[in-house]
Amino acid sequence: MSEISKLTELRKLMLAMERSLGLEELSPAERDIFYAATELARETGNVQTTGLMEHALVANISRPTFFRALKSLVEKGYLSSCRNAGRGRYVVHARDD
Amino acid sequence: MIVPRADIGRLVTETFSASLLYLTAFVVNFELILPIQNLFFPEYTSRASLLFLPHGVRVLAAWLMGWRSTLALLPGVFLAFFYVAGPEVFTPSRLAGIFIAVTIAPAAFEGLRLLGVNLAPRPGRMPCWICIMLVGLVASVAGSMLTNLAFGSAPVDYFAYVIGDMAGLFFLMLALMLVFRWMRRFGR
Repeated sequence: MSEISKLTELRKLMLAMERSLGLEELSPAERDIFYAATELARETGNVQTTGLMEHALVANISRPTFFRALKSLVEKGYLSSCRNAGRGRYVVHARDD
Repeated sequence: MIVPRADIGRLVTETFSASLLYLTAFVVNFELILPIQNLFFPEYTSRASLLFLPHGVRVLAAWLMGWRSTLALLPGVFLAFFYVAGPEVFTPSRLAGIFIAVTIAPAAFEGLRLLGVNLAPRPGRMPCWICIMLVGLVASVAGSMLTNLAFGSAPVDYFAYVIGDMAGLFFLMLALMLVFRWMRRFGR
């Protein structure tokens, strides 16, 4: 295992602990978007904004809330912009359960 | 057999970081936590720490590296023993203590793996932190028994070691969790 993946595994462990201790910091919209992104990214490893907005979990979220939550997820490190594929594509981090 | 240069490089990096973390945790323990402990529990005369952070380093290193953590922690554990005992570090009981300290956590993970419970980190799987705490408990109980056997300590020390190890593991994980939260918040 590389040094980077060791750090990723450590981050995942701490996220699991954070969740169990009830210290999770995601709003309901952020959580729904994150779960939808995790599901969509399972096949390709990344997710596109347009595909994400069509997901059943996200369909009821208004556009402004969606983009605010998306930005917040990037700031909190749950998603990051996919550098190789241009704008509107994100890589999902850490939580695979 | 030729060992690839990348593997040597990785082992050097692992050894440096794991040993440095162990030594740092040990010095914090010895110079900061123990004096505070003596301040609050002056009647408690044992030298065992009730918040032993190095156990956390041992368990997390074993979880991440498996048996390689034995080698990676060895310099740090040796220096920690030297810090306390000086030249007496080479006495048989201290050498046994060093051996127990570096092998007990990977042995606990390996034992569980042989029983069919593999907790090794894997991509695509969320780690179970409670399971790692339980392995920490198993390693602590086994380690305390063996260490007490090697040093001939008082029975009260046995319980103190276990309490200190578990508190240390929990607080180290809590501290790491807060550090990662802070890093996420500030986009690092």
